[in-house]
Amino acid sequence: MKYVLLAVAAAVTLGAAVILGPADVPLRDIMSSPIVWQLRLPRAVLAFLVGGALGVSGVALQALVRNPLADPFLLGLSGGAGLGAVAAIALDLPGPWALPLAAFVGAVGAMALVYRLGLMGGAELDPRILLLGGVAVGAFAAAITTAIVSLAQATELRNAFLWLWGGFSGASWTTVLVILVYAPLPLGVLAAAARPLDLLALGEEPAQYLGADVRRLKRLVYLAASLLTAAAVAVAGVIGFVGLIVPHLCRLVWGRLHRALFPTAFLAGGILLAAADTLARTVVAPRELPVGIVTALLGVPVFAFLLRRWTVS
Amino acid sequence: MRRWAHRTHLAGLLLFAMPACREAGRTPPSGDLVVTDDAGRRVALAAPARRVVSLLPSFTELLFAIGAGDRLVGRTTWCDYPPEALRVPSVGDGMPPNVEAVAARHPDLVVLYRSGPNVTAAAQLERLGIKTVLFDLNLLEQVGPAARRLGVLTGRVASADSLAHTSDSLLAALPQPPTPGPRSLVFIVWDNPPIVIGAGSYLDRLAALAGARNVFHDIRSPSAQVSIETIAARDPDFVAVLSDSAVPPRYAGRPEWRVVRAVHARRFLFLPGQLFGRPGPRVAEAVRELRRRLEQP
Repeated sequence: MKYVLLAVAAAVTLGAAVILGPADVPLRDIMSSPIVWQLRLPRAVLAFLVGGALGVSGVALQALVRNPLADPFLLGLSGGAGLGAVAAIALDLPGPWALPLAAFVGAVGAMALVYRLGLMGGAELDPRILLLGGVAVGAFAAAITTAIVSLAQATELRNAFLWLWGGFSGASWTTVLVILVYAPLPLGVLAAAARPLDLLALGEEPAQYLGADVRRLKRLVYLAASLLTAAAVAVAGVIGFVGLIVPHLCRLVWGRLHRALFPTAFLAGGILLAAADTLARTVVAPRELPVGIVTALLGVPVFAFLLRRWTVS
Repeated sequence: MRRWAHRTHLAGLLLFAMPACREAGRTPPSGDLVVTDDAGRRVALAAPARRVVSLLPSFTELLFAIGAGDRLVGRTTWCDYPPEALRVPSVGDGMPPNVEAVAARHPDLVVLYRSGPNVTAAAQLERLGIKTVLFDLNLLEQVGPAARRLGVLTGRVASADSLAHTSDSLLAALPQPPTPGPRSLVFIVWDNPPIVIGAGSYLDRLAALAGARNVFHDIRSPSAQVSIETIAARDPDFVAVLSDSAVPPRYAGRPEWRVVRAVHARRFLFLPGQLFGRPGPRVAEAVRELRRRLEQP
């Protein structure tokens, strides 16, 4: 029943995202309007896919580092993406895809660095070092980014931060296609790791005794979740909060089994972000709010409510 | 009794006459040159400033335009007009001002744009005994008052007044509320997220003066984030971008932007930043230039 409700909510959210918008498109013209076909629909789909990716990535990373504060962007990815984006503008890289590609490269670079740091203690990825390394690499990348922005002459650079704060203005069928082609691989890897991740929740040693290849599992989950987030950054910038609270919401409702958590986190993340983007586009029209503000405004009260129920029961 | 009354009357006359004296520019002992700046501070100089540091390109332009360019001993890296300005030593990008670099020029007046960091910098300079003046310069309406006060502080009152008069009369010619011409445009400052210019910016007024309608005139702030959808729905005839080259912006090739008719048809107006990037003494020139570009087929 809860699954049906979630699916219905997803359909309603996507429908609303297509019908509602700052431009007046009469209902009967919805099928023919280029505003709907070229702007609203790809934007709604992209917001849904990115929200889903961030939700799943958050579930995986929280399970991996066994820390409820883990967020897909905590592990240095946002800092790396920001550095990539600013470098692309500072170097004046040509082409419409320069910025997202550079952000992706930056995020993957930061991920590789954190991964390397995580392996410093030996062959095992140490979750604590991953967290600390992520924060350190993120801070370092942010420092270089700020240095470039304050030393370079281009006034455009300050706008790179606007992009980085996230949003779906750049949505098109091309970006949707990029995610559709890219995301199934990391999503598949994570789905296959659902059962071993349940075991990992018992602790690394018990998981090992119960037959999980913990060493390989941690590496695969880390890489898959990070690559998923890096793609999200490339098409939508850094949208905080979805990857942090959606996993908790889903755990409160669906329990701790990853077989249920992954699909529900995907749908819930998609719903949250598609709804947030619809609000961002419409509530202050003709202006627009940065979507990250709306995800926080929507998410925090729901989160606080559930947290209360959770701690009371 | 009558004599006494006569005397008080005389004293009254004198009292009234004194401010008139000041306005006429005679020389009372000190504080001859007094203006109130846009931070509400009273700025008094004993004599016209001889060593001025300008921390905004518009102020640099204004100082040269009123004939006080030779007083400039410091400018920002952005001050690139008129060409003579480039011969003045730079004190950095001014964001925020490098107080030490400014002080090292030994100025007797520092002209700053009124913003948070600049107010702090002005207070620091004042503590070093350097006079500062803070001006707003976001709108065309502020060009005239800024020019007049700079004229007082540099002793170039006459030319400053004539410049201010030109700028003010240009604006006076603008009907209130502006009746826009048949052509419409959008100023796109940034593409992702899309940032456009609203009514709070001098560019909005510039467009109206050139006979064009800014499709985001209903947004009161100087700039705002909007969605591509809104731009497409408002369907401007032109997309104006501040750019020194005529290379279409990189978003012009992206599918989501091509829903905007003017982007699809590549109807871009490339406005050089030196002339259009800031309100200043060349408003009339900017208006003429924009009108010329709007009228091109």
